[in-house]
Amino acid sequence: MVRKSSIDEILNHWILAGSCILLSITGFAFLFHLEPVSAAFGGPNTMKDVHNWGGVVFGLSLLYSLRHYIADALEYDADDLQWFKVAGGYLSHKVTVPPMGKYNPGQKLYYLAIVVFGVAIALSGLGMWLMKDNATVMLLSHLVHSVSFIVFVIAVPVHIYLGTVANPGTFKLMISGTLPLDEAKRRYPKWMKAAGKM
Amino acid sequence: MARENTNNRKAIMVTPEACIGCRACQVACKSWNQLSGMKTKNNGTYQNPPDLASSAFNLIHFREVPSQENPVRWLFVSRRCMHCDDAGCMKICPSGALFKTNDGAVAYDRNKCIGCKLCVNACPFDVPRYDADNKITKCHQCSDRTNAGMQPACVKTCPTGALKFGDRAELIDDAKKDGFKTIYGEKNLDGLGSVYAFKDEPKLYGMKENPAIPRSLVFWHNYLKPLSVIGLGGVVAAAAFHYLAIGPHKEKDEEV
Repeated sequence: MVRKSSIDEILNHWILAGSCILLSITGFAFLFHLEPVSAAFGGPNTMKDVHNWGGVVFGLSLLYSLRHYIADALEYDADDLQWFKVAGGYLSHKVTVPPMGKYNPGQKLYYLAIVVFGVAIALSGLGMWLMKDNATVMLLSHLVHSVSFIVFVIAVPVHIYLGTVANPGTFKLMISGTLPLDEAKRRYPKWMKAAGKM
Repeated sequence: MARENTNNRKAIMVTPEACIGCRACQVACKSWNQLSGMKTKNNGTYQNPPDLASSAFNLIHFREVPSQENPVRWLFVSRRCMHCDDAGCMKICPSGALFKTNDGAVAYDRNKCIGCKLCVNACPFDVPRYDADNKITKCHQCSDRTNAGMQPACVKTCPTGALKFGDRAELIDDAKKDGFKTIYGEKNLDGLGSVYAFKDEPKLYGMKENPAIPRSLVFWHNYLKPLSVIGLGGVVAAAAFHYLAIGPHKEKDEEV
């Protein structure tokens, strides 16, 4: 077996994912005044506390995730360009997908988007939480928070889809963190070569 | 949604020309809403308190405008929440604490207020204030009186008719018939629930010219809010379509 994700990476991923989903649900409830949702949290005031402190958890978890992914997410090569040309093989099963390293460029760009808009949504959230008497900060934060939210509600479901049913076997990687050596060689040949296992 | 109440909409008509600056409206408001007194300083103006506050929902705004023919001219303008039909505070409120009454006034549910202060920053007229419990307070057009068929406390107590409460369209018609050229708030923000009858320019009385909701808020409401639902729904639909039409990833031998 080969370990692809460490235990702390897996734990942090689920803290990030859990807080993200919690924040999205409460965020939608605030955006559209979904009373049954706020009632489930014990009223809008408690929901605000859940949302604010959930945001703190999300922000810290996002920063911690940098040590797991940011180095890989900033490195691209010619195969990555080719990967985009064949749309990662997702639009047709007939194309040849170039050999990949630990992550494909779609995953890497997804991560960068989450970092950029995650930092934006966290900072704008803090702005609205802590700088209530500054009209410019409030209105700008309100706008940035909403734009980032839209990126999240579009990008995260794609990530969930591609990480589960669209790629059978991927989901269990975020549970156990390990996969058989032959599978790793088949899916991540460049990573295995770099690790001296191929 | 905002226009539902337009037909039976009520309003407070303020006629500054008839105001003698007695401030009985301020007292009546405090009395009905059980608002505490405030310690203020004499700052050389008739106006007191200096601004709207969590314990001052209305206020007589004082202006001195001397001219050649009238060296002593004092203007009194009774100020309160404008009860915009297109209300920025209501638009931005994330908890649904602000709502429209059947009369078209903008009232609030204190229990639902989460103290985020977004309404304060969205109001074109700088009206909402926060109390010591960090909850919104402002004029609610005495909805607890008007629901019972009574007039707002300030209107009830006004001795000169500078404040009138009633059917909005009728009040505006009457003011026009009485020769008031400018009705401030007739059209602004889809029509205000506090309207003002002037013979002079409203600017002279310190009224805000072209009041508007912050543009970012309009953009957010018209585009970003719907886009969040369309985006999420679109992606879920696209994923389902992809799964059915193209199908999940298959392992291929040539990838080895």
